[in-house]
Amino acid sequence: MLTSPQQVRDGAEEGGARRAVARYALVKLGGALLSIGLVIVATFFLFRLIPGDPAIAYTRDVPVTPEQLALLRRQLGLDRPLGAQFLDFVGRTLRLDLGTSYEYRRPVAELIGDRVGPTLLLVGTGLAVAVGLGMWQGTRAAWHHGGRFDRLSTGTALTLWSVPTFWLGLLLLMVLAAGIGPIPGLFPTRGMEDVDAPGGPLYLLHVAHHLVLPCLTLVAVVYAQYLLVMRSSLLEEIGQDYVTTARAKGLRDDDVRRRHAVPNALLPTVTLVFMQIGFVVGGAVSVEFVYSWPGLGLLFVEAIRGPDYAVMQGTFMLVCVAVIVMNTLADVVYHVLDPRVRSA
Amino acid sequence: MVRTGTRLAALSLALSMATLLVAHASPSAARTSQTSQTAQGAPQAEKRIVRLGATQSMDSMNPFLAVRVVSTSIHRWMYGFLTVPDSKTLKPGPDLAESWETSPDKLTWTFTMRAGATWSDGKPVTAQDAAWTFNKIMTDDGAKTANGPAVENFDTVTASDDRTLVIKTKKPQASMLELPIPIMPKHVWESVPDIGTYENEVYPAVGSGPYIAVEHKKNAYVRLKANPSYWRGAPAIDELHVIFYENPEAAIAGLKKGDIDWIGRLQGPQFEALAGDANITQWNTQGRRAAYLQFNPGAATADGEPIGDGHPALKDVRVRQAIHHAIDKKTLVEQAQNGLAVPADGSIIPPMYQEFFWKAEGEAAVTFDLAEANRILDEAGYAKGADGIRTMPEGGRKLEMRFSIHTDEPVEDKIAQYLTGWLKDIGIQLTTRRLDSNKFTEETGSTALYDIAISGWSVNPDPEEILATHLCSRRPTASGEGGGTESFFCDKEFERLYQEQLVELDRPARVKLIKQMQERLYTEAPVVAIYYPNNLEGYRKDRIASITPIPEDNGILYGGSSYWPVYTLRAVERAAAPAGSGSGIGTAVVVGVVVVLVLGAGGFLLMRRRRVSADDRE
Repeated sequence: MLTSPQQVRDGAEEGGARRAVARYALVKLGGALLSIGLVIVATFFLFRLIPGDPAIAYTRDVPVTPEQLALLRRQLGLDRPLGAQFLDFVGRTLRLDLGTSYEYRRPVAELIGDRVGPTLLLVGTGLAVAVGLGMWQGTRAAWHHGGRFDRLSTGTALTLWSVPTFWLGLLLLMVLAAGIGPIPGLFPTRGMEDVDAPGGPLYLLHVAHHLVLPCLTLVAVVYAQYLLVMRSSLLEEIGQDYVTTARAKGLRDDDVRRRHAVPNALLPTVTLVFMQIGFVVGGAVSVEFVYSWPGLGLLFVEAIRGPDYAVMQGTFMLVCVAVIVMNTLADVVYHVLDPRVRSA
Repeated sequence: MVRTGTRLAALSLALSMATLLVAHASPSAARTSQTSQTAQGAPQAEKRIVRLGATQSMDSMNPFLAVRVVSTSIHRWMYGFLTVPDSKTLKPGPDLAESWETSPDKLTWTFTMRAGATWSDGKPVTAQDAAWTFNKIMTDDGAKTANGPAVENFDTVTASDDRTLVIKTKKPQASMLELPIPIMPKHVWESVPDIGTYENEVYPAVGSGPYIAVEHKKNAYVRLKANPSYWRGAPAIDELHVIFYENPEAAIAGLKKGDIDWIGRLQGPQFEALAGDANITQWNTQGRRAAYLQFNPGAATADGEPIGDGHPALKDVRVRQAIHHAIDKKTLVEQAQNGLAVPADGSIIPPMYQEFFWKAEGEAAVTFDLAEANRILDEAGYAKGADGIRTMPEGGRKLEMRFSIHTDEPVEDKIAQYLTGWLKDIGIQLTTRRLDSNKFTEETGSTALYDIAISGWSVNPDPEEILATHLCSRRPTASGEGGGTESFFCDKEFERLYQEQLVELDRPARVKLIKQMQERLYTEAPVVAIYYPNNLEGYRKDRIASITPIPEDNGILYGGSSYWPVYTLRAVERAAAPAGSGSGIGTAVVVGVVVVLVLGAGGFLLMRRRRVSADDRE
């Protein structure tokens, strides 16, 4: 079969574009690996800048003799020169060995493994709801911008955004979990499950019941950013010629919005979502603390309180790496979604 | 492009569903086993359950490793000890050891183990178990974590027969009857390859205490069942749940609502939040903690090399005593602690330990008296300048001092305010330094970069440890390694008394020595006790019928060194429809409503979408 010159050129262009995407992805990947390397280095030195001697901090309020302290330092590797400690740290980290928790006497990676599930559940659900709510309200607010819905939703979202998470969480806990006056306590006051949790499918409901308040708190505090980004990018689109054209074609208002304006306004929100997914892993420290949610955020708080340096380092690196990975993904996805980025 | 949005929504939904499934794959497996356990037992409604809230989670279920209060408490309920404090006097009383005697050279202790005590798996508790436990700690570094120092003075531990345990010590050890070490079942533990990393998450756990741990959901709760074969007889409740709250405020809310029945170790404001609740008993008794000020008495290392930058005036015991006169402890109790403490008239050992407690009386007592403080300083030659601030007798340096406290401690901030005012009246200018706890420990314990600092200590039934924190040897080594000093104090007389009490096996004589040590601390004033914070707890009287504290007169419920309170727990018998089941139904209703709402909203959106698409197709 003969191929026309036109087809050949198309093929070459397609191949070139694919190569460009690959090159772009490689560059981004390289950047991400470099950042992760820097995080590992920074983690090591950052945690050695913390004032105080770990061995003394670990043995606070516990009777110890100087010999025991020396033994502890040897066990923790603190008696070795900084350079050797650093090389050891890098080597172990690259082998995904995050060290051993002093308080729990368990590998940090294992502790993190225990906590990842609850955090993904809480923050994942919260993020999904917040994105949905924010995008829906943002779209409506922009479409009828200046209207009562716009003023009300934007105002509410901004107010909630400015409220300290800890305070809002406690307030919701006091009102909806403990109950005040005639309001009965509808939700549990702590954690992800109770001692008498049911088995089978009811267990999912049991956890969902525990999830309501932490999730509500998280959503209330973060959804404003999706609302605002969605609203402002849609507002930009509303004035565009293609929107006017669509209207002129006689399309229904709903269709103009859903099929023409919103898809174009979606990009910044998608980016924001991806960047936020990185922080999901870090959990919502305040929310997890208020509701004793057994996630990574709580682990981090406990590690600081300890102090448990290995756990602090481990969770810190995990969050950094997650953010870097997700940012890289966002870059690549953005590239795929928006042709304009490609040509730029 | 519309599809992008839909896909995104679908994706996020799928993601969250997936996480939900992943997160619960393992717990649901655990759940099934638990359900089958409950199915074997009596119907759930009749169970007498008490739920204790704890603002900590377990660090380890392995007693060789665990150090948190919640863990050591639960282990005290799961495992027997050689001896335990008597519930009335707090003097050592028999537990797994029925009786004991010492050799004339005070170096050999022979314990007779209890006849008839069994492990929860039916095997007898023998001297072999105790010998194995102590030897393990003595020989295995991994087993030293929790209680290594307690066996440091042990030479050999042997079981000469099943009921006779012989402990030979290197030097006489008076605190032998307060060993903080639970006796572990040898037949279960000897096969553990590495104690230092063993988690001991096997249930039901084999123990010899009043309760058996049957489930531990990490970071959530520990479920304990009454041990039917406990040698004193089974406790009067069926189950004891310990439920972990990270956030004390949430725990208070949980107590008020009835999610938990009892919570201990409360701070003043949390305790006050329980006032006026008809269902809650506020438990306000004497505590086991002492709060004190520590002065930098011219800090030095254990070798006597001066370190730090303490104010030279504080080397003078007269200045320290003058400052003591300038502290109105009653006002501090009322203003900083809202009255929930007892002003100290003497020692760093709280009055709860009445056997050891010492207090200054008559002429010896240092009372709040600013005029007397001024008189002492005038007499000692610290003259007031024009600005009202005193200077050193040889002139030059003013009496300007730092007061080190912790950041984010409102109580300490209040103490600082009052102290600054009083010291100003006696010509000493005080500035407050707020330090994070690591820095605080370092500056007040090893580098000595402080003048006056706040401190406190929770005291055990045997006060040896708190007294040891003022020994010369506890000062940092030459290389600056902290040894756990609470004052940088080093006093020959105090050292002599300490060494004497260590080897004094005659209890009244030892008590006398320990009181003399407290008196010495009082007159030399490297530390000044300001008050003893009360033990604050709360429990629901509609759930807990009675509970006996330790000591029985005005004592502690949770966090003391004994299983006595949880052993004596009695739940309210509930004949008619229990209030708790109502909340269960309420929960189900709420969950049902939420599910219906979500499904309804989803259905509505779906229908609308369909309708719209149908419109489009036309």
